[in-house]
Amino acid sequence: MKRPAAIAALSILGAAALVTFPLWSSGWESSRYATTILRDMLVLAILALSLDLLVGSAGLPSLGHAAFFGAGAYAAAIAAQRLGSDDLLLGFAAAIVVSALLALVIGLFAVRAAGIFFLMLTLAFAQMVFALAFQAVDLTGGSNGLANVHRPMLFGLDFNGPEALFELVASVFVLVLLLLWRVRASTYGRALVGLRENERRMRALGYDTTRLKLSAFVLAGALAGVGGALSGWSLRFVSTNDVGIGRSIEAFVSVLIGGTGSLVGPAVGAVVVLFVERVLPSSIPFAETVLGVLFIVFVAAARQGIVGLARAAYARVRAP
Amino acid sequence: MSPEVVVQQALNGISFGALLFILAAGLSLIFGMMDVVNLAHGGFYMLGAYVALTVVQRTGQFWLALVIAPLVVGALGLLIEPLLLRRLRGRHLDQVLLTIGVSLVIGDLIGLVAGREIHSIPFPAGLDRSIAIMGGDYPLYRIFVIGFGVLLAAVFALVHRRSQAGALIRAGVDDAAMLSALGVDIDRLFAITFGVGAALAAIAGVIAAPVFGVFPGMDVDALIYSLIVVVVGGLGTLSGAIAGGALVGTADTFGKVLFPQFALALIFAIVAFVLLLRPTGLLGRVRIAR
Repeated sequence: MKRPAAIAALSILGAAALVTFPLWSSGWESSRYATTILRDMLVLAILALSLDLLVGSAGLPSLGHAAFFGAGAYAAAIAAQRLGSDDLLLGFAAAIVVSALLALVIGLFAVRAAGIFFLMLTLAFAQMVFALAFQAVDLTGGSNGLANVHRPMLFGLDFNGPEALFELVASVFVLVLLLLWRVRASTYGRALVGLRENERRMRALGYDTTRLKLSAFVLAGALAGVGGALSGWSLRFVSTNDVGIGRSIEAFVSVLIGGTGSLVGPAVGAVVVLFVERVLPSSIPFAETVLGVLFIVFVAAARQGIVGLARAAYARVRAP
Repeated sequence: MSPEVVVQQALNGISFGALLFILAAGLSLIFGMMDVVNLAHGGFYMLGAYVALTVVQRTGQFWLALVIAPLVVGALGLLIEPLLLRRLRGRHLDQVLLTIGVSLVIGDLIGLVAGREIHSIPFPAGLDRSIAIMGGDYPLYRIFVIGFGVLLAAVFALVHRRSQAGALIRAGVDDAAMLSALGVDIDRLFAITFGVGAALAAIAGVIAAPVFGVFPGMDVDALIYSLIVVVVGGLGTLSGAIAGGALVGTADTFGKVLFPQFALALIFAIVAFVLLLRPTGLLGRVRIAR
């Protein structure tokens, strides 16, 4: 088999294995627990993947990406609640429309800045969204959050059970991965990389760089919103944590630890981050410190991330 | 609003603005010199408040806390710069990212050592009463905060313009590479800058503690406010920190009184408006680090 075909076959196999995880792991003693953790890892991975479109491809370091994740989570939950419908498509539509609109509004201001300024602006704007979510008690439940979020249905298919919900999350994850893979290979994706590498030259080539950045910001925001909707359904709960700086940092740390600009890097990072945050605390009480130190080490000494390191190691092994 | 209320709220606004100035000054100083936005600034602020809490609990001395907290936190800053940031010199964005890690560690370790409860520090003796202003009672401590902010600004301005250290700072802000080429020990200068910036955050933490309390999560609040102040006022300049602090402090205070639901929207509007007109802030330098 030729290499691309082998990779394609392996990818399809991997995706199928992932989506069917609850089925083949059902014999395990801790299958339930593993399914829950893996589900949450995939939700964070979707957020991290969408963020990497900004950080890795376009070179826009957003530290406020949770604003769109949370907006999606709230939108899906509130739409279902107010319209009295548990339709899956309605939930996704609400999440995508609201988070994309929010990204458009924030992006109009944020993409005017670059680098550190962009980072500060996205952080500040996201904190505004957090505060609004905190204050709009009638809509969001304020500090209590929205409990008892209904899990969705689609054409009579019920995603209420843990297995069905996992399959939904995993399928969406695979679709997002596929979409981002297509985007990266497209002229649009190449133009984003050009933006990162040399914005002035892109302008000279006739690209409207502000518009290009804004479109990436909106696309990343909408994908984060999809992740948010899945988060609400997974936990049956949406709270201000979903829009908070903590979630933004989680996503950012995932992207950097996993490896920016490599397709699967952010997903790998998300797995590491949630492992440290969720599995480790049962044995050590200072998991967040571990995460902080890990992050510092990766930023200072291994900026290419886990996937970058693995690629370098693989290249060394292959080279005679 | 009656005139008394207007005066009271104006004083509240200026008092909060003075605190924001103290808080943002350190952030602005570090940025001006090193082109690094220190996202651990909120962590340093929180650490300062917790050190002060410990000192006050042990000795009951607020003023001692106001001396010890900046010394402790400043020493930490003095260590972090050469140990962590120096390796990444020239990679400004990575330096900024690294400070996120530092803030995670500081926040988590404080929670581990001091617990997750809300604490408060009593007003220092002598400042724990109110005085009559325009027929109403007004807490003396808030007047003290205004005075302290003004004093600090005056000292800064004096050091900045008249002393040799000020000359170094101005030269460093203007062109650190050239300063280094002229034979100034830039490593030392950067370490000291970072230490002083951290110490300033700690001072703000101590000053704020009797008013706002000491609790987990205070680091995020402080970081966001200081970022807003420097975005509005302009990074890297003393006058920017003053203007930003005054504007954001007053707007926030009046916003919360006049339309509590939309106070944040008001700040948001100010940030957006300033950025539309002047992307580098009201009094910021033209250069933006990438």
